Amino acid sequence: MLSLKIAWRFLQKSRVQSAFIIAGIAVGIAVQIFVGSLITSLQDSLVQQTIGSTSQVTITALSEGDSFKVDERVLAVVRNDARVKSGAVAPTLSVNGLYSNGNESTPLTLKGGDLKSLDALSSISGRLTAGTARLNRGDILVGKDFADKYALSPGTKIQLTFPGNKERTLTISGVFDLGSSQVNARQAFVSAEVPRALLGWRSDEYAALETQLVAPFDSAAVATDWRARLKDLRIVEWQEQNKDLLTALQSQGSSSYMIQAFVLIAVALGIASTLAISAVQKTRQIGILKAMGMNDAAAGRIFLWQATILGVGGTLSGLALGFFLLFGFSFAGASFSITPKPGFVAFSAGIGIVVALLSSIIPIRKTSALDPIEVIQGG
Amino acid sequence: MADVLLEATGLDKVYGEGDTSTHALRGVSFTLNEGEFASIVGQSGSGKSTLLNLLGLLDTPTAGTVVYHGQDVGKLGKPALAKLRNSLVGFVFQFHHLLPEFSVLENVLMPALIGGRPPMESRKLAEETLGLLGLTGLEDKGADQLSGGQKQRVAIARALMNRPALLLADEPTGNLDTVNTEQVYKLFRQVGAETGTAFLIVTHDRAVAQQTDRILEVRDGELVQDVRNSYLPPAQ
Repeated sequence: MLSLKIAWRFLQKSRVQSAFIIAGIAVGIAVQIFVGSLITSLQDSLVQQTIGSTSQVTITALSEGDSFKVDERVLAVVRNDARVKSGAVAPTLSVNGLYSNGNESTPLTLKGGDLKSLDALSSISGRLTAGTARLNRGDILVGKDFADKYALSPGTKIQLTFPGNKERTLTISGVFDLGSSQVNARQAFVSAEVPRALLGWRSDEYAALETQLVAPFDSAAVATDWRARLKDLRIVEWQEQNKDLLTALQSQGSSSYMIQAFVLIAVALGIASTLAISAVQKTRQIGILKAMGMNDAAAGRIFLWQATILGVGGTLSGLALGFFLLFGFSFAGASFSITPKPGFVAFSAGIGIVVALLSSIIPIRKTSALDPIEVIQGG
Repeated sequence: MADVLLEATGLDKVYGEGDTSTHALRGVSFTLNEGEFASIVGQSGSGKSTLLNLLGLLDTPTAGTVVYHGQDVGKLGKPALAKLRNSLVGFVFQFHHLLPEFSVLENVLMPALIGGRPPMESRKLAEETLGLLGLTGLEDKGADQLSGGQKQRVAIARALMNRPALLLADEPTGNLDTVNTEQVYKLFRQVGAETGTAFLIVTHDRAVAQQTDRILEVRDGELVQDVRNSYLPPAQ
């Protein structure tokens, strides 16, 4: 413990230098935590926005636009898979319609299904901005952007035109906001009977069986399994449909790792140079201690302790600063919130300390190699 | 008759190689008994400090042996040498070489802490040693807050802390005035008598050497004279 005591005194004697290096480590670790958490949360948010309210693995007929029977055989495969989010299985039918107010027209995709199943997928009931969540035969739930564009509100009847010049009048029961203006402008929900009647399909026939997973990135593996078991059907998963998004996320992740790596290298160089300078500054003292009988290992430990004190002090300050930055970010008005993951924070803290310890290698070697006679003869 | 503490045999020290080499010591041999109060004199560059460094286990001879209490130290590894340096030898240098980061008491305690002595026992011994050197009351002062004479006395206290069998001093009063120089030698004698420590003091000043009981003279790296000296303390 003598080495620790001496290390502490050396740091105390050079207070300003110690404070600077602790601040340097703190800034590095804070940036690491902030940037890492920011990028991860942004990615989570983008993924959530893209697929959080839609199907992640979808079963359809082999030919596009055809119907298929959602029977026990199909449901068993889906429901018995533990990777599927509980209750997030919705048989749906879709039909494209056109709304016009006389001056302008907008195409709408009407997704038909059972409100409870649709809710499990898209949480429509929880995202209503007006009206009530109800899907009786004559009801329609429309998106906020669509409603705003045409100044529509719950209770208003709208007339839609479908292929074959078929027309239906539906009553807006509610207005939803699913977080995407494109979805809010083009998507509407109706009961399954509306598209079924328009398409002329039987009651057990659907266009798709939509599902959500506990872990969205399992979709490729899930799809592969289901393809093997449902050879007569087509299985589509979100990752192959969103390759651009995934590439963007990966690029973003890579650039974030690069930033973090360079910050850590800068921190490591900072600590290493400070400790090296400290080793030079304390050459006389180390020489005297060695002349008094301190062995090379104990002399080296002085700098290991210095690195530990600086590393732990800097990392703890960095954690505090990092959380302060994250707290500050919550007032920045961003569309997503940053949630630091405990594992990542612990990893960053660990890196801070390990980098500090590695930085002590050069001064430890220098100290071990120091011959006390150099100091004694030098006066 | 006191026991032999140190036996130096045929000590040679060469610095560098080939044409640029310097022969600092040539075949120096002598023995030193426990409790002896001796000095090494010689001109600047004569090799006396080199000899002191070899005897203090800070340097290794090119040829020859240094034997302490019958043990050849040339056969010891670096850690064992460091341990022996801590327990057997005390150093006082021309420059006090105190650690400015520590108080007077901590500086004096340092050799005991390096040697792993129990803290309570060490503290008691440190206070006793400081008392011996008339430094009581300065324990908590910073090492860099003392006068030149005080610093050198703290350095002596530190060298004596582990009650070494031998105290090696290299021009210990080189930076002190006459009054302080006399005080230091008086202290050396007093401490030697009380602790049984042997003293080997390097000096270029013959008048200073006259205050010791034995004078070894080094000239051009060779031990040219080894005489007993009858020291009479000045009349009070």
